[in-house]
Amino acid sequence: MPNLDVLTSTLASGFLLGGILALIALGLSIALGVMRLVNLAHGELLVCGAYLSYFLLSQFDVDPISGLLVVGALMALIALPFQRLLIAPLSGKGMEAPMMTMFGVSIILQNLLLLGFSADTRTLEAPYAASPVSLGPVTVPQIYLIGFAISVVLVVLVHQLVTRTGFGRELRASSADPTAAAAMGVDVRRVHALTFALGAACAAMGGVLIGTAFSFTPSTGATYLLTSFAVVVLSGVGNIFGTLLAGIAMGLLQSVGALAFGDGYRDFVGLVLFLLVLAFRPQGITSTGGR
Amino acid sequence: MASMVDNKLAVAPTRSGGLVGGASAWLLPCLILALALAPPLMSNYALDIGFRLLLLITLAEAWNLLAGYGGLVSLGTASFVGVGAYTLTGLVNQWGLPFALAIPVAGLSAVLLAVIVSPAVFRLRGLYFTVGTLALAEALRMFMVNNSVFGGATGLFLAIDPPGVKGLYWFALGLFAVTTLAMTVATRSRFSILLRTVRDDEDAAAQIGVRPFRIKLIAFALASFLMGMAGALQGMKLGAVEPYGMFGIQWTVAVLSIVIIGGQGLRVGPIVGAIFVVAMAELLADYPALNLALTGLILILVIRFAPKGLVGLALRKTRGAK
Repeated sequence: MPNLDVLTSTLASGFLLGGILALIALGLSIALGVMRLVNLAHGELLVCGAYLSYFLLSQFDVDPISGLLVVGALMALIALPFQRLLIAPLSGKGMEAPMMTMFGVSIILQNLLLLGFSADTRTLEAPYAASPVSLGPVTVPQIYLIGFAISVVLVVLVHQLVTRTGFGRELRASSADPTAAAAMGVDVRRVHALTFALGAACAAMGGVLIGTAFSFTPSTGATYLLTSFAVVVLSGVGNIFGTLLAGIAMGLLQSVGALAFGDGYRDFVGLVLFLLVLAFRPQGITSTGGR
Repeated sequence: MASMVDNKLAVAPTRSGGLVGGASAWLLPCLILALALAPPLMSNYALDIGFRLLLLITLAEAWNLLAGYGGLVSLGTASFVGVGAYTLTGLVNQWGLPFALAIPVAGLSAVLLAVIVSPAVFRLRGLYFTVGTLALAEALRMFMVNNSVFGGATGLFLAIDPPGVKGLYWFALGLFAVTTLAMTVATRSRFSILLRTVRDDEDAAAQIGVRPFRIKLIAFALASFLMGMAGALQGMKLGAVEPYGMFGIQWTVAVLSIVIIGGQGLRVGPIVGAIFVVAMAELLADYPALNLALTGLILILVIRFAPKGLVGLALRKTRGAK
């Protein structure tokens, strides 16, 4: 039985990491909810964000956290033409063709990163990455606290964007009924392109936080893709605060799993949970449950 | 998912199935016979390539049954390959089972896995099958890496020597013959009509008395059986199994690319696709990352411009010429 300090610190770490998982899952959830796109390259977009930050840090000495928004904006800019080029022409061909196209993108990105950066494990070095913060019996790395705060702020900002702005109204309209939205003068193609860019930005910024808190390689993406899916399945598609709660729940469960079975089982716990939810509580998924 | 385009495509396999399927009724047995007579003339390199081709065609045929005929796009190929390979190694090491017996049992262990996970992956339709099978593959790989019972990250060694190149070729040819038979029965019988009905409209199928869950489970079990046996053959060839190789995503990528590049839902698609993919892997043998990146690119182009793959493209060209 681990002592109390370890237990409370583990739970606190899991809680804080859950916030970051929620930010990553949010990007996947938005694309799924609005575009009906199963973005199988979501994990690679995350890893790309981490490598972009790594590049900025090593070449221009840009601190990962101060450069976070820059990485997010850059990835959104890179993602925009991709959506026009790859996804938009496949609209009306069902969900499978875009999904498999994104799988192709994930293979390409993963192997280009492998060619460009080798398979070496990297971390984003920052002074706050390892230094601990203590409050009573709880000790967590500083980056967990920073990552959580940033993630929650970003999730709230996305929520404001979707519920309070003109673009958000168009986004919700396109999600509910693209044909009717188009008839009402909404440029659905533009909404989809921006949604995809927003999803990519969420993934990339999550990738920077993950890259600072942990380490990454070109093949790290798949795990985060699936963890994100588990979070989306737990919360239901298109429910932004639900995603935040489900992300935190996932973070807690992963930490408990890692404490109980060993650190190698951290991600395993999330995947098994995902399969169990699919088997026993599929109503957790609402808007795209059927087809 | 049954959009206009999908409905139009759904007709294609029936028509071309008649065309290519009719020819393949004669062609495939002839091909197997030719392949059975060939070994004395083949070099070790040719036999090795032959083994790989036959193995990949088997996997691709199984995947094609799921995706092409059943609309079940699986990203979990590696799970069934891995379970087959580990089961064979375990059976041979623990109980000294002969290979010829251990291979079908390894196939059955993959069927067992399919049956166990079917409630999770079939409960929700379409895309959740894809994501669910991917989660299964990742979960199994992580489990095998971390769990020491099955050798952990180092894996297990086969206690007896694997058969030589020629022996392996014969096993692969046998498996290919079984696959051809199974696929011919599955795609030319009433079952294939039921499967395509479920693919095109599950609700309508259920309305007229088809049981979608049962039909999908039969297809999933049959495909897993073939995949498990293919995995067993691969484990036998290597003489050692370890989680990164046997449960790795590369199986999933290779098999999926073969079918999509060759032609989804077409009987000869996997054969053409396997030759294409193996040829490309041989040409770029020194650049595995480049090979995979190019495969991804070709995949995207084929999905966009030739939804029925190279075979579909050829059929369209020849029809246009007439």
